[in-house]
Amino acid sequence: MDAYFYILLVVGLLSTGVCLAAGILKKAPNDVTILSVAAVEVALLVYLVGSIIRVIAGEPIAGEAWEFWGYMVTAMLLPPAAVYWSILERTRWSNFVLAAVGVTALVMAARMNQIWY
Amino acid sequence: MKDQRTASPAGQGPAGDGPAASNSRNTGPGRLLIAVYAVFAISASARAGYQILTKFPEAPLAYLLSAFAALVYVVATVSLAKAGSTWFKVSVAAVLVELVGVLVVGALSVFDPVAFPHETVWSLFGRGYAFVPLVLPILGLVWLYRRRPGGLASAA
Repeated sequence: MDAYFYILLVVGLLSTGVCLAAGILKKAPNDVTILSVAAVEVALLVYLVGSIIRVIAGEPIAGEAWEFWGYMVTAMLLPPAAVYWSILERTRWSNFVLAAVGVTALVMAARMNQIWY
Repeated sequence: MKDQRTASPAGQGPAGDGPAASNSRNTGPGRLLIAVYAVFAISASARAGYQILTKFPEAPLAYLLSAFAALVYVVATVSLAKAGSTWFKVSVAAVLVELVGVLVVGALSVFDPVAFPHETVWSLFGRGYAFVPLVLPILGLVWLYRRRPGGLASAA
């Protein structure tokens, strides 16, 4: 596991925790929960840029390269999709949808690490 | 009659007698359910596609099963999001198939690990996915029962 994974571990769990708490407190999605999901997207963006730089620098991906990039693209689509889905109906349930983003991104980052090394 | 198909996200309440009332499946907790199903539909499809394209001859049965599971999740996601009693029936069918699938494949993968390598969403009752595949159809059925057309809304 590399630094990118640990960044996503922290940001993802934090985002999931914040969104879960907001959902349990019966709050609708607000700036805090949406921004926490945006932070997950930023963490993924850092992973994306870092990975592109590493590939250009000549570092090989141990596993299937297209599988790695497939995970990356799918993971990066999750936060915008969840935010879109949650603002269509702003109820506490949408915060649980947002909460799913952090852990999902975390699991996908773990898989991406496995593929890379 | 003309605007039956317009899926109003705001649940119309007990007064609705048909299309409006059945729209209540995609609001509130239903949105969370649909979102989780969507994630499974995407990940199962991607996994099945990858397995079939790269290593199909290794375990054709397991990978066809992966593809079937992916299809079930896609149908469940779409039908849960749609209004109307026809889509309700499709949802019930998809979720029941999902439940039977995870139970049968889960049991087979425990008793006959050779024929069922741990490579489908449903293997070992979905252990690779934190048992979400096992819990999801049960939650789905509970949700569908509570929001069944002509159920609570018209009985109340």
